Amino acid sequence: MANVAFKRVRKDFGTTTVVQDFDLHVADGELVVLVGGSGCGKSTILRMLAGLESVTSGTVHIGEREVTHLPPRERDVAMVFQDYALYPHFTARENISLGLRLRKVPKAEIDRRVRWAAEILELEPFLDRKPKQMSGGQRQRIAMGRAMVREPAVFLFDEPLSNLDAALRGQMRHEIARMQRRIGTTTLYVTHDQMEAMTLGDRLVVLDGGRILQVGRPIDVYRAPANRFVAGFIGTPPMNFLDGRLERDLDGLVFVSDALQIPLAAKRSLDTAVESREAVTLGVRPENLALADASGPVTLRGQLVLAEVLGATTHLHVDVGGRPLIAAVPSGPAPAPGAAVALSVDPRWLHVFAADGSSLLPDSRDP
Amino acid sequence: MRRAVFYVVLGLAAVAFLYPFLWMAATTFKSPAEVGGLSLIPDQPTLENYRLMWARAPFGRALINSLFVATTITVSVLVFGSAAAYALARLRFPGRGILNTVTVAVLLVPAQLTLIPTYTLIVELGWIDSYAALIAPYVFNAMAILILRQFFLQVPRSLMDSARLDGMGELRILFTVFWPLAKAPLATVGILTFMGAWNEVLWPLLVVRDEQLMTLPQLLTVFSLGGGAGPRQLAPKLAAAMVLVVPVVAAYTFLQRYFIESMASTGIKG
Repeated sequence: MANVAFKRVRKDFGTTTVVQDFDLHVADGELVVLVGGSGCGKSTILRMLAGLESVTSGTVHIGEREVTHLPPRERDVAMVFQDYALYPHFTARENISLGLRLRKVPKAEIDRRVRWAAEILELEPFLDRKPKQMSGGQRQRIAMGRAMVREPAVFLFDEPLSNLDAALRGQMRHEIARMQRRIGTTTLYVTHDQMEAMTLGDRLVVLDGGRILQVGRPIDVYRAPANRFVAGFIGTPPMNFLDGRLERDLDGLVFVSDALQIPLAAKRSLDTAVESREAVTLGVRPENLALADASGPVTLRGQLVLAEVLGATTHLHVDVGGRPLIAAVPSGPAPAPGAAVALSVDPRWLHVFAADGSSLLPDSRDP
Repeated sequence: MRRAVFYVVLGLAAVAFLYPFLWMAATTFKSPAEVGGLSLIPDQPTLENYRLMWARAPFGRALINSLFVATTITVSVLVFGSAAAYALARLRFPGRGILNTVTVAVLLVPAQLTLIPTYTLIVELGWIDSYAALIAPYVFNAMAILILRQFFLQVPRSLMDSARLDGMGELRILFTVFWPLAKAPLATVGILTFMGAWNEVLWPLLVVRDEQLMTLPQLLTVFSLGGGAGPRQLAPKLAAAMVLVVPVVAAYTFLQRYFIESMASTGIKG
C-alpha cells in the first residue's frame, strides 16, 4: 500500500513531447482513472510509473521512495494489460505464480495467495488450463490474479477491458471495482471508455495532448467540466455546443446565436464576456433538453431528423436552424422524423465556454 | 478420379526421389558380386561392407567428431543468434539500426570470399588441427539472427513488459518467454545449421589433416579419393555415406513438425 506522486513529469519521444507538466498525487488506496483520447499520453504515464518507459524530466514517487530511475521489478507495481500478456506456454496457475516464484516466495505462501486470488476471481476451475483454452474474460481474470498475488504497492490497469465484448466488459468492470475495494490497493486505471471512467474511479484525470485538463470526482467533472474539451469528451451522447454571444436583457443574461435566444442566470464570472461581447460557446447536455409543449416556455424550435430509441431513453436528433442538436428524452410517443419539435432547456445546467475553451461557469454546479 | 491421378503423380515423384536413396541403402548390405545391380533387396544380406569401412578408416571417431562439431555449432548459433536477435528486435540502444543493416550485409558476402582470410586467421591463431578451427568460424550466423529477429518482432510488447514486471532480467525473458514461443523458428534454424555443419567438407579439408580430428564427410571424401575406384570399393563407400546421412534423416524426422510449421509461417527456404 502506498501513495503515488508524479512531479512535473515530462516525456519526449525524439522531438515529440507526449507528456508534459504532469503533476498528480494519488492517495493510498485510491482508484484514479486516467481518461483521454488516443495519443493523449495516458498509457505513457502508466508505463513511466511501471518503469517500462524512461522519464525525460521530473520525478515519480511510490510511497516514500523516489522510483524515477528504478527498473520495473524494483518498483513493487503490478500491471494488467489490454491483451492480457499471459505466457501462452504456462497454465493459469503458473502464470499467476510466476512473479512470486521469481521472487523466491516460499511455496506454501505462493499456494495460499494463488488460492486467495482464485477465490476472489472465481478462477478455481481454470487454474490448470493454458490461456488458449480460456475465454477472453477468463484470461483477463488470470491477468488480474497475477497482479493480485504479487500484493504490490500499486496496481496499474492499461485498458484492461478493451478486448472484451460489451456484456463481459460490464461484468469485468464490476469485478475490478469489487476487487479493488476489497483489497484496497492504490490503483491507476487507464481507459478511453466513458462508462469505465465514470463508474470506476474515486477520481478522474482527463488528459489531452499530454497535459492534465481536469482532475476531480467523476460526477464533478461531469457536472462542471473545466473546459470545452472535457465537456465534449465526458458524457454520452456528447454535449451540444452552440456558438454565439452573451447579452444583457431585463431579467438577466441571454445567449444569442443568430435568431436563437436562450436566457440564463447572471453570474459574475460571465461579466467580462458580456462586456467585451466576445464569442462564447454555450454547452447543453442532451439530457438537459426536453420535449416541450408548444404552448409552454419554448426556447428551441426545430425539425426532428432521427429518433433513436434505446429503450428507456430516446435520442432525438434535431435540426435547429441548421445546427444539429441531440436531446436525450424518456421514451414515449415520439414525433415522426421530419416533424416540427419544440425543445425546452433547463437553465440550471447550462455551460458557457470562452473562446479559448475554458469554462466561464466553473463552480456553479451544486445541485 | 482426379484424386487418383494426383496420388499416382505424387507416387511417381516419391519413387524418383526415394529410389536412389533406397538403392544406396540396399547396396551397402549386398555382397561384392551383387553390387551394381538395380535390385533393392540383397540376395545375401551382409554387414561386411560396414565392417570393411569401419576397419579401414576411423569412421567411429569421425562420427563422434562430426556430432560434437555440428552440435556445438548448432547450440551456439541458437544461443548467440537468439540473443543477438532479441537485442536487435527488442532493446533500444544507439547503433541498433546500423547493426541491423550490417547483419543483412553479411549475408551478401559469399563464403568463398572469406575462406582465405579466415584460413589465414586460423593459421595465425595456431588453431590448425583443432576442434576450435572447425567450430569457431561458425558460431555466429547472420541468417539465424535475421530469422529469429523477424519472429521476435511479432511477440507482443506487453508480454515483455509483463515479464519485466514479474521480475525477469533480459536473459531470462529470452530463454523462458521467447524461446518457448519460438520453437518453430528455432527448430528451422537448428536443422539448417546442423545440416550445414554436418555436411561441410571444404573447410575441414583445409584446416584438419590429423585423421583423428576429421569429420565424417571429410573422412568419407578422403576415403573415397584414396580408396581406389571400382565396384568392389563402392559398397564400403556407400556404407560410409549411410553413416553420414542417417543422423540427419533421424533429426529431420524428429523435428519435421516444427520445421514444416516454421517454413509455412516464415516462408524461408532451406
